[in-house]
Amino acid sequence: VSVPSRSRYSVVIVGAGIIGLFTAYHLAGAGAGPILVVDRGFLSSGASGRNGGGVRQQWETRATVRLARESVAAYRRFGGEFGYNIWFRQSGYLFLADSDAEMARLCAVSEVVRSEGLPSRVLDPDGVHRLVDGIAPHAVIGGTYLGSDGTVYPFPAIWGLYEAVRSRGVEVVLGLEATGITTSENRVSGVGTSRGHVATSHVIDAAGGWSGEFARRAGLDVPNVATRHEILATEPMRPFVDPMVVRASDGLYFSQTMRGEIVGGLTLAHPTGTTGGMSTSPEFLPKMARTLTTLLPRLGALNVLRAWSGFYDDTPDGLPVIGEDPRCPGFVHANGFGGHGFMLAPAATRRVAAAVLGTPSDLDPGQFGPGRFLGPRPPPAAERLQLG
Amino acid sequence: MVEPPGRQFSFDGRTRSAQPGETVLDTLLPEGLPNLQRSPHYHRPRAPMCGIGHCTGCLVRVNGRPNVRACRYEPSSGDRVTTENAWPSRRFDVLAIFDGLFPSGIDTLHGFRRPAFATPLYHRVIRRLTGYGAPPSPTSANSLSFPPEIRTTDVLVIGAGRAGRAVASELVANGVAPLLLDRASRIEPVPGATLLPRTTVSFLPPPQPTKEAPFEVLAFTEPSRGVRVWARRVVVAVGSYDASLLFGSNDRPGVMTADGAFALTSTAGKPPFHTAVVFGAGERARGVVDRLGDHVAALVAPGAVPPDLVRACSEAGIPIYPRSLLVAANGRSRVRSVELRTRGSGATSRVECDAVVLAHRRVPNVPVLFQVGARMQWRSGPGAYYPEIDADGQTSVAGVWAAGSVSGVTRPASAPSGTRAARALMGTASPEPPPERVPSEGGNELEGYYRELLARPRTGRWVACACEDILLQELEAVTARGYRGVEVAKRYSGLGTGLCQGRYCLPDALLLLALREGRPPSEVGFITQRPPVVPTPLAAFAALDRPSPVREDAA
Repeated sequence: VSVPSRSRYSVVIVGAGIIGLFTAYHLAGAGAGPILVVDRGFLSSGASGRNGGGVRQQWETRATVRLARESVAAYRRFGGEFGYNIWFRQSGYLFLADSDAEMARLCAVSEVVRSEGLPSRVLDPDGVHRLVDGIAPHAVIGGTYLGSDGTVYPFPAIWGLYEAVRSRGVEVVLGLEATGITTSENRVSGVGTSRGHVATSHVIDAAGGWSGEFARRAGLDVPNVATRHEILATEPMRPFVDPMVVRASDGLYFSQTMRGEIVGGLTLAHPTGTTGGMSTSPEFLPKMARTLTTLLPRLGALNVLRAWSGFYDDTPDGLPVIGEDPRCPGFVHANGFGGHGFMLAPAATRRVAAAVLGTPSDLDPGQFGPGRFLGPRPPPAAERLQLG
Repeated sequence: MVEPPGRQFSFDGRTRSAQPGETVLDTLLPEGLPNLQRSPHYHRPRAPMCGIGHCTGCLVRVNGRPNVRACRYEPSSGDRVTTENAWPSRRFDVLAIFDGLFPSGIDTLHGFRRPAFATPLYHRVIRRLTGYGAPPSPTSANSLSFPPEIRTTDVLVIGAGRAGRAVASELVANGVAPLLLDRASRIEPVPGATLLPRTTVSFLPPPQPTKEAPFEVLAFTEPSRGVRVWARRVVVAVGSYDASLLFGSNDRPGVMTADGAFALTSTAGKPPFHTAVVFGAGERARGVVDRLGDHVAALVAPGAVPPDLVRACSEAGIPIYPRSLLVAANGRSRVRSVELRTRGSGATSRVECDAVVLAHRRVPNVPVLFQVGARMQWRSGPGAYYPEIDADGQTSVAGVWAAGSVSGVTRPASAPSGTRAARALMGTASPEPPPERVPSEGGNELEGYYRELLARPRTGRWVACACEDILLQELEAVTARGYRGVEVAKRYSGLGTGLCQGRYCLPDALLLLALREGRPPSEVGFITQRPPVVPTPLAAFAALDRPSPVREDAA
């Protein structure tokens, strides 16, 4: 059961998360030949099963706004296409500002989003209070809001994709770790796994928080850094918060799911790398609890049921890495999503598939390609809206 | 004053009185077992099941704060207590039509997708119905803000039962003053130890070896005082509890664990039922027969019944149904009878009763041990995960010991295992041989029982997870779709994500998944227990974020 059935595949995808599975789906749809997806954990054990389910289109960079807008359209179709209800609920993203500088930044983002044809609105404190009842007076000075942003329930997206790719003939082997690549004439010739070698001309690094580690095992120096982020869920109550609420100054985000749980997180400075484990820390629960109850005091009467953590795969400029590595033909990056893999997956993975198939892509390689980190000067920070 | 005044509070609009130390549920029990709750999806009537503050059968709303357990909450004067999640009342809830409308369950994974344009409407309707009840009222958190309690101790003993108290006494006798905490509102004193009653550990994180006190333990004292304990060493003595059981309508009011039967029996000896069917044939079933024998309608056992229990039953005039399947609990808002089937032969019988007492299986209360990172071991005799320990109870985590039934010793050895752990902790050897533990090998009777039971056609609702109203067929769908392992089963079905934190669904789910996947439960895996181990108010955690909370009153 847990070894690949063939010795050769057209494409081997490392990581059975939302990025790996969506890429497999597009490739299989394009008739790319035998495809193998391997993952060292169980289905949904990584960030795809550990995130807050936010899907937003408000970004600083235009190209990301476009990818997000396309992803929103894809998530609207997901239920019909994949047979699973992901409960994509377009109740908006509310960005909160607690300083003038932050408000100015949000206004600039809102301007970009509007110029891309999406009706992001700038709100005064009254507007914020009308959207979320009970926010402490004076806690915010304003915000921005886009009603077509929303949330999904991540698990059924994974089940739907898993079943769809398997019915398209993709082989998914769980509990199998990719240990590195083999090359021939300086291009990919195969992938080593914890249980043997498979031959392939293309390997896709979609390993989320472990993608940097896999690339480095393949001998490629990449700037990806795994950072641990924590999240909690309360007991489920009848919904009283509709939008996803986010605040850039401390990385706070929370929403209330269809089940009624408040699910949210906060940015803490943990040591980087994947060695810290995926449990929660004794700092997070108190910090998150105080932040939530200071903003929305009535939450103090709710019980926390669970807290956990997962890994973001961060890049220096805040943008994902999509495309073939110029140093190693056949090695394709689909990583560096920085906690936004779920939001961008449907659209971003089309470009990953294009990179494998050699078909045209509308992404600027200078902005998203792995080559951008190889020049003498690192690319400047481009997308700084790193939250929720 | 001649009589104690009692604390006047209102329950669903009527004034009641509680004596100090009495819980909301205590004041209701003299009128019989109350149906306090409606289940979250199908609005089935629910009553207290566990009596020890874990199940969702007694949730009430107190002063606008939702999901307070009536079996633990001691009301103050002027409290306003109401039942939740039912309209117009807990006795007649119109939403109970869902129970009839969805005989095979509500499929939230595949349903409500079509037509696509109706999605926002589905969302609006479902968001009015979902969850356990109304959100907290705007002012409900105001009375939950307390200054935190910060403590530093050499040894923290979690659990003040026989084992925990033995640990504490032995430590005190050797000049170490431990901190002893327990969920109970009163702890039998151990002179020399500091007691923290009504206090539950929420999070026992793995040690931070560089710190003088490596264990930063988060806890709370009810109702919501945050507690942080810095400890150099920790002894976990949190005991075990009675598991639930799968059968038709196993969530019917009146179905309770032996824990529940004992906890809900008044000090005068009146149980919360007239006559109960007791399920089980071990020491725990014997305990129910001995203490509540006058109220036992029959003893039903999955296998053979040992001679001493046969004798005890015949002396009390209690009929015995050995080698029998408990098939279903009949009734509506209360158990009226149970259906039994003799194993192998297929002969069926019905026994009239108004309760079912589950006394067939004790499982260790291990979530904190998973949390601290202790290596765990499946012991197939009892069919549960226990910590790997040495002869003294030392776990795989330096500085953490386990004692008492959570470590796998049986009741007579509880206190000795505590004494032993305390000595080991101080570097003294114990002369006695180590206590025997529950068997790590050998068959679990329930596996064969479930194989036979689940192969039969079913009637009634088989509830795999009562907290979230997850049905047995939803769990079976996981393996039917080709998914394997308990971690994926949890994420696919939602099992183990309710307010009991998986205490009542996971023990059976492991056996069931093992049967369906055709491999032993140890290979089906375990759920990585996520903190907090018991639902903990955000207010309690929030207070721990700063030395002294400052009220930020709005102008």
